[in-house]
Amino acid sequence: MTVPAGGPTARILDRGYRPYDGPRTGARGAMRSLIRHSVQRVLGLKRNVWTKVLPFLTIFFAYVPAIVFVGVAVLLKDRFATEGVNINDVLPSYGEYYLFIWAAIQVFAAFCAPEVLCTDRRTGMLGLYLASPLRRDTYLVAKAAAVGLVLSIVTLGPPLFMLIARAIAGVGPDGVGGFVAVLWRVVVAGAIAAVLPVAMTLAIASTTTRRAAASAAFILISLGSIVVTEALINAGGSKTLFVFDLPYLPIELVGRLFGEPAGKIGSSSATVPTSSLVIAYLVITVGCALFVRTRYQRIQVTR
Amino acid sequence: MIEVSGVSKWFGDLVAVSDVSFEVGPGVTALLGPNGAGKSTVLRMLCGLTGPARGTVRILGGDPRRDLALTRQIGLVPQQEVTFETLTAFEFVRLAAVLHGLDGPDEAATAALGVVELDPADPRPTSTYSKGMRQRVKVAQAIVHQPQVIVLDEPLTGLDPRQRLHMITLFQRLGEEGRCVIVSSHVLDEVERFGSRVLVMVQGRLAAEGDFHAIRELMDDRPHRVRVRSDRPRALATALLESEAAVAVRLEGTDTVIVDTDQVSRFRRSVAAAAQRSDAHLWEVTPLDDDLESVFRYLVGR
Amino acid sequence: MSPVRTPGAVMSLYRLMLSTQVTRARVVGLSALGLVAVVVGFAIGHAGLADPLRQGTRFINGFGLSLLVPVATLVFASASLGDPNEDGTLVYLWLRPVSRAKIVAAAALASFSVTWPIVTIPLVISAALTGGGRTLVIGTVAGVTISMVAYVGLFVALGLRVKRALVWGLLYIFVWEGFVATGNNTASRLAVRTYGRSVLSHITGETFRVTDISSPWRWLVPVAVALAGLAYATRRLTRQDVA
Repeated sequence: MTVPAGGPTARILDRGYRPYDGPRTGARGAMRSLIRHSVQRVLGLKRNVWTKVLPFLTIFFAYVPAIVFVGVAVLLKDRFATEGVNINDVLPSYGEYYLFIWAAIQVFAAFCAPEVLCTDRRTGMLGLYLASPLRRDTYLVAKAAAVGLVLSIVTLGPPLFMLIARAIAGVGPDGVGGFVAVLWRVVVAGAIAAVLPVAMTLAIASTTTRRAAASAAFILISLGSIVVTEALINAGGSKTLFVFDLPYLPIELVGRLFGEPAGKIGSSSATVPTSSLVIAYLVITVGCALFVRTRYQRIQVTR
Repeated sequence: MIEVSGVSKWFGDLVAVSDVSFEVGPGVTALLGPNGAGKSTVLRMLCGLTGPARGTVRILGGDPRRDLALTRQIGLVPQQEVTFETLTAFEFVRLAAVLHGLDGPDEAATAALGVVELDPADPRPTSTYSKGMRQRVKVAQAIVHQPQVIVLDEPLTGLDPRQRLHMITLFQRLGEEGRCVIVSSHVLDEVERFGSRVLVMVQGRLAAEGDFHAIRELMDDRPHRVRVRSDRPRALATALLESEAAVAVRLEGTDTVIVDTDQVSRFRRSVAAAAQRSDAHLWEVTPLDDDLESVFRYLVGR
Repeated sequence: MSPVRTPGAVMSLYRLMLSTQVTRARVVGLSALGLVAVVVGFAIGHAGLADPLRQGTRFINGFGLSLLVPVATLVFASASLGDPNEDGTLVYLWLRPVSRAKIVAAAALASFSVTWPIVTIPLVISAALTGGGRTLVIGTVAGVTISMVAYVGLFVALGLRVKRALVWGLLYIFVWEGFVATGNNTASRLAVRTYGRSVLSHITGETFRVTDISSPWRWLVPVAVALAGLAYATRRLTRQDVA
């Protein structure tokens, strides 16, 4: 601000508080910010070092097998070739790789959503978020996207890394067509392996404001479903009960996607039709999503 | 009753309290300081909740960190709001009485709740209480065992004016009974009503202690400011300057002179004479910075 | 200054910790899992299996000793002193003339009192329904109890020692006991689960493919772990900064 020409000159450099007149990004911008902030929170970015330990340790253990397998492929492919053995027949397939990382997926899922959902309700931030262009649905979509993004670091990242590294090392799929054929399967597999745990962990996290309780509940339900379905099937129950084996259901679907025989990846009990697996997967995922939405429609945000 | 000698406390690289020494006897003493000055850390050390990194703290001659029986003589009203949410006020205070080994814990709890004007028969858990009611419950549990030393960290928070007045009266009474009451507070105008003894902490160090009027007197690097109202303010101002009892004067309105003086006693002796010489009537002579807030501001701001 | 007698302190502390640990969410959640165990036990018992004792023992071990017992104990025991430590209410217990050992003992007793029935009753019903007979029921009670004794000591100490005790406890159960300790005999001896399983195995006569612990160590080590945990918690409570 300056005075008119002819008078004494002056400038005001800092008028203190002023209303914001710039562009507003609306709900989309709010969602983008929320996704970014939530991802940072889960990974412990911009926070003290202890908050980074669990996520980065989990990511490390998820990538180590991929790095090892790629290293073996690169270093020993010629030796295996001289013995007439295809290196890809020795190393785990893309579908089998998920058996190595399912624990990392469970750990990440157990701690992800509670970190981003429970904390907002416990601290009262949910009220502030809903005072922005965000609504309850857009808030949940943003949170689900954030959790999905984080989980895909371990569900999509390692197989993708393996695919690209193998392709570069010359032990990957043949040609562009072959590469793309594997690539889309890797991407879809990563999504399958992530979406169900995301829906489950969000549903559980929506029931409590205590992060640790939500994590404990997720692990109990997850591991408990394995033991219970196995016990019921061994007791003579139908093998279709396998669809309630929540950690292995997506793994088995991933195996089917890569053309693995039924029951090879997920569990020896998983000799159920693929259609049953898909239906169960969708029912559980959608059911969990509806549960979260219903919970959040009813939550009283401010007192 | 309380002796703190050369006490320092640090948390990693953060020095919370640095070489603080003071003694406190019976009566009410206010512990003042801006946020982060180290007040809560000092209070926690007095109760033995944390030990000093250096120096000694003695309560009634004992070490509060090691002597478990000394807790019988200490009552604490902590800053945090949370209490045992599932208990009623009576159960909460009674628990304190039982843990202190009191005979007749029911009667002691009822009496303590009566002092803070809470109903012992209230069946509601403290989780449903307002901020002010929780504060009163906390005070009740701190006094149920009739301790000699009572430490209160921001005890007036959340109380309405009437409750504050009642609580201040309670603290004064406890002090008059010979107990040592230390109160940390930001509500300076009410702290003044506790009494005049203060401990002022700034950036982990003890900036001043004692009667705050006397502290003000000692602060000779800051002229005292006095408002003088008169029918002839200009003439009076001139006379005061000529008498060298004032270092600066400022006229306000039609009847007021704001005088800065670094010699309060001389000013007091000179103002009447100056009024007489200037043929002025004196309507008001009021010190403007002899209050606790001004003392606090000067100490914190230097 | 002479010590102060505080009759009734332990009982009062015990009742307080019972009331603070027992929340509706915890009880309902863990009871639901107990109900699942009962349903599965029923299914096993009505499956007409040739060897219900074997299937029942495997289920009690896999679901009960490996999952329900440690997680339920973690939920309650880590909260017994962990919650007051975290929310600042520990000061109302600490600044009293009550020995720290009494406070820790009350916390452990309260945790055990609330966890034991929530876990043992459904598992016993489940064991009975499997048709495994009295042997399996006795083995279940003994295995659950001896495991829980050790877990209570461990997790009361954990709740006091670390901020997010439930998270660290889950990692211990899931990663250490679930993976690392199943790798070799030496590591398995460092898992509480191994001892509970040994007791169950010894009573039912069913063997598992991992390490079996001989008597009397299968009984003594969990008790020693509990005492060590509680001793550590007492020491920690005496020396730590409060509020």
